[in-house]
Amino acid sequence: MARHNLEKQLNILEYALSSLWRHRLKSLSVLLVFGAVIFLLASFQMVTQALSDKAKQVLVHTPEITLQKMSAGRQEAIPLAYGDKLAGIFGIRRVVPRIWGYYFDEVRLANYTVMGLEVAEMPEGARLDTTLAKGTMPRPGDDAQGWAVIGYSITNALDLAGRDTFSLFRPDLSLKPFVVRGEFSRDTDILTNDLIVMNLADARDLFAIPAGLVTDLCVYVANPTEIETIAKKISETLPGVRVLTRPQIQKTYQVVFGWRSGFGSICLLSALAAFVILAWDKASGLSPEERREIAILKILGWETSDILAVRFWESVIVSGLACLVGMTAAYIHVVYYAASLFRPVLMGWSVLRPNLHLLPRLAAGDILLILAFTVLPYLAATVIPAWRSATVPADSALGG
Amino acid sequence: MFLCLLLALDGALFLDGLARRKAQDAALAQLEVVTSGLGLTDLAVATEARYTRHPAVSDPVVPFMDHPGAIEHFPTGAFWLPPQR
Repeated sequence: MARHNLEKQLNILEYALSSLWRHRLKSLSVLLVFGAVIFLLASFQMVTQALSDKAKQVLVHTPEITLQKMSAGRQEAIPLAYGDKLAGIFGIRRVVPRIWGYYFDEVRLANYTVMGLEVAEMPEGARLDTTLAKGTMPRPGDDAQGWAVIGYSITNALDLAGRDTFSLFRPDLSLKPFVVRGEFSRDTDILTNDLIVMNLADARDLFAIPAGLVTDLCVYVANPTEIETIAKKISETLPGVRVLTRPQIQKTYQVVFGWRSGFGSICLLSALAAFVILAWDKASGLSPEERREIAILKILGWETSDILAVRFWESVIVSGLACLVGMTAAYIHVVYYAASLFRPVLMGWSVLRPNLHLLPRLAAGDILLILAFTVLPYLAATVIPAWRSATVPADSALGG
Repeated sequence: MFLCLLLALDGALFLDGLARRKAQDAALAQLEVVTSGLGLTDLAVATEARYTRHPAVSDPVVPFMDHPGAIEHFPTGAFWLPPQR
């Protein structure tokens, strides 16, 4: 019995394949359009998933608590004295001040991220040398001034190939010179591409920030399970301060790339629109030729279930192939072409563009999501009209 | 025939993906050190606007503070969702 069923299904599959081949132009066009829709959805899914994954992996090491001073709803410089007020909170290991901000290069129209801090005070600060492609970070006790360690794109933007000095403008338009002491490895591009790292005093001088003020304070705690408790105590001690915890920062990157973003919605809506058009076309009735074919099959002794099986196999073959083609193309687009179609919106008018090295992790859940959005509606859109047509008496279909 | 070619291509991509994954795992150690050593909070993907360069530590008002009544106008604002706090 089982063997008989299997043979029957194989015969039906063979018929479905020959039917697709007979209408090869139509099948190919459906396959291409369907593949393109899946390509769009899968590319978006892969890019966002690869970026979220990367953020999840690296932001485990972000400062446990970051403090920013808020005034009139905006962030402003925080007094260094706030760090002293935290001395009474048990469990804080250290507080590290930082001055950081953006430097807009009006010649190259590029934004650089300037980061000023005492690297010796940071966790892993002594190991930062391992992240440099060339040069070294200052050793503890090294009070050298005027140095900078830069990201790969800064070298290119400032054209530092043959020299190691550059200057940036202070707010009063006087020049502040720097000597390049090292360059970050390209493997760290996704974090350091636009960075200019310097010591705290140089950053203060560059941005003309008054003594006693910094951009933010990084708070490190002794026991990571106490982050929330300590954050709450800090909020109570310093009411005008925004307290950002590591879990909050990590959570940001789990939601910041989402289907609800404008671009994500466009991908999703275009896929939905394509399916609505397809479903409308199918549901509005089969072509007279298709009705005729179904009627002849019924006269030859085929049952309604057999005709449904043919349509089912046709849809499975077309949608399965389209899925495979679309997802393969999406993977090649994301990994080998660095999601070049999405770069105009992912990076916009950015002048400095990192090498993202995107490598999506294709989990079963992601594949199922794409299948659920694409293959299932297609199956429904093709089988239901076939069922409606197959239940019509053969003679009326032929006569009509 | 077409299906075989496609599956062969996918197999090759899978093998290449494994090699790339190994290389990325090696680079991950560097990324961890640089995040920890500089206290970084964000990925350097979009450098055009501060709220997409540092979404985790930016004010929610930043996209609209260029002038009174300003609307968000950077292209990356379409790709990046505002963080929820």
